Amino acid sequence: MNWTDAMHFVRGPLFSAALLFFIFGMLYRLVTVIALGWKRDHAPAKSSKVVGGVLNVLRSAIIFPFVPRIREAANRNPITYLAGGIFHVGLFVVVMLGAAHVLAWESVLGFRWPTLPLPIIDFFAAISIIALIVLFYNRLSNPVLRLLTRTPDYINLLVVFLPFLTGFFMTHRLLLPYERIYTIHVLTVDILLIWIPLSRISHFMFYFITKPRHGARFAQRGAKP
Amino acid sequence: MATNGKIRETALNTYIKEVGGAVAAQLEACTRCGICAEACHFYLATGKPEYTPIWKVELVKRLYEQRFTPLGRLKVALGLAKPVSEAELREWVEYDYHACTMCQRCSLVCPMGIQIGDLIHMARSGLQAAGLTPEDLQQALDNQLEIGSPLGVDDDTFDERMEWIQEDWEVDLPIDKPGAEALLVFSSIEIMKFPDNIAAIAKILDAGGIRWTMSREAREATNFGLYAGSDELETFIAQRVIGPAKRMGVKRVIVSECGHAYDSLRFRIASLMGETLPFEIVHITEVIGELLDSGRIKIKPGVLDEKVTFHDACKIQRRGGNFDQPRQVLKQLAGDQFVEMTPNREEAFCCGGGGGVIATKAADTVRRAAFTVKIDQVQKTGAKKVAMTCSNCRLQFLDCVDHFALDWEVLGIAQLVADNLVK
Ligand code: SF4
Ligand code: SF4
Repeated sequence: MNWTDAMHFVRGPLFSAALLFFIFGMLYRLVTVIALGWKRDHAPAKSSKVVGGVLNVLRSAIIFPFVPRIREAANRNPITYLAGGIFHVGLFVVVMLGAAHVLAWESVLGFRWPTLPLPIIDFFAAISIIALIVLFYNRLSNPVLRLLTRTPDYINLLVVFLPFLTGFFMTHRLLLPYERIYTIHVLTVDILLIWIPLSRISHFMFYFITKPRHGARFAQRGAKP
Repeated sequence: MATNGKIRETALNTYIKEVGGAVAAQLEACTRCGICAEACHFYLATGKPEYTPIWKVELVKRLYEQRFTPLGRLKVALGLAKPVSEAELREWVEYDYHACTMCQRCSLVCPMGIQIGDLIHMARSGLQAAGLTPEDLQQALDNQLEIGSPLGVDDDTFDERMEWIQEDWEVDLPIDKPGAEALLVFSSIEIMKFPDNIAAIAKILDAGGIRWTMSREAREATNFGLYAGSDELETFIAQRVIGPAKRMGVKRVIVSECGHAYDSLRFRIASLMGETLPFEIVHITEVIGELLDSGRIKIKPGVLDEKVTFHDACKIQRRGGNFDQPRQVLKQLAGDQFVEMTPNREEAFCCGGGGGVIATKAADTVRRAAFTVKIDQVQKTGAKKVAMTCSNCRLQFLDCVDHFALDWEVLGIAQLVADNLVK
């Protein structure tokens, strides 16, 4: 197999397979969690749980990445807070608003949306890469994180890091000829898609259960989530 | 209690039984970012990484992964998974019972909104079922189950105490009075250690014209089933209040200054019993707020002429939403002399004595260490008077004031109100 064949393979059949694995894997994870059953809450609420849940999700998407909920706690671990925040913002911008990615989305979804100019995307990619390196270093050096971190957590970082790195190389025509680095980039994305349902990177799906639930519980008790 | 050799099995089976969708979703959502550590006073005071909130549920989490997730099951099949051992369960007794008050401060900083305090409560459930509950906590629980009170308040003691309070404080304490609209329940701490609180609350309710009563049967709201982590025992104990309250046909159950009783009765018990209760459950602080708002009681403005600050209790404020009423009281009594700690309200640090920690002798060192966070907060305000709405907090404050030789005065809000009622 030459590079051109490889390219067609990773963006064709392998990508489709990885995407299907991702979708069904995530569905499986979600269904198994939901199937464990949910107890009804009979305690009367002090304020609307629905409003609390929705507001909390909005606030944590718009305000908390920049202004921490308890500032004094975030100040004690600014690296995790900042690097984590920057990475997530960068990820969103690059994957959702990068021109090449929007084309890829269009090929999957059938429609497209406006994009940001390349230098901006490039900037966000660069800070995300730095953030990931910082997060990796942080896991090695912070005593709490050293205790909590297991091998899969390092694999998570690596599996997310590789698409960023290869994408960055590709944009800047570094290291390898375009076709090769493009192939490797898509391959890393395929690997990522397969790894997500098997790992804690899937947290973004459960976020939409736990975060509103947090908001609802605090609202029920008359407190600000 | 599990016999030797069955400890592990019992604990793990309890965990598996308790895993529902909510628990699973939260365990799945955690990214092991470690930020929760920075919110927990036990970690902050000791710097011990094992006191990181989410680490306190590590065993539950590992078991969950091995039993319920595809990758975890694969690891078990390949013999790569590390099983939860009895030695580990014993190790976690310290993390779950000594170093957590289930105050839920950590859930506020968790980017995923995980209710870590609730998960730690669940972590306790397995340890409790396996008989690993700290000895004195278990003793208090046994007392409550057998005698009806963790501090051993039996019928005779109760009658004696109530008679004594009526005489010494010159208040009327109606017991099992028919036709009452509200049933007042106390914690054993108040019955045994803060009798003045009982007198104070009686005065407030009388001044507010509330038709209230106490009950000989439903006299204790404390719930060591909650501390121990057993939903079953918590429900059993709470039934002693719920049952009589239903029979008496009261409209309200008023919980005195006890945070855990309030948490259990107000927010947990209906769901544990699977029914909607036919009466309201309110905290005395809420009643004080209502009486002040409606003008049914008045307090003397400006009588406190020294700086006073307020300690937010985890169960009554952060987990109970009663932030404004005590502040309203202090602002009236102290005016500008009322100063806030930082952080406060939802973000406040808990006292470190809740969740049964203060009843656990082996936790004394870490409990007092956790209190240093509070000392720092209070000292920054410059106040020597600290008011609160929870007798459990008050017990912790008094113990630590003594231990650290602090020159603070520890005050209860109900008592402040009762002492300063405008007749
Ligand atoms: S803050 Fe939340 S997501 Fe992070 S380690 Fe703690 S529980 Fe897990
Ligand atoms: S609930 Fe409170 S005491 Fe327990 S781990 Fe969280 S912050 Fe610490």
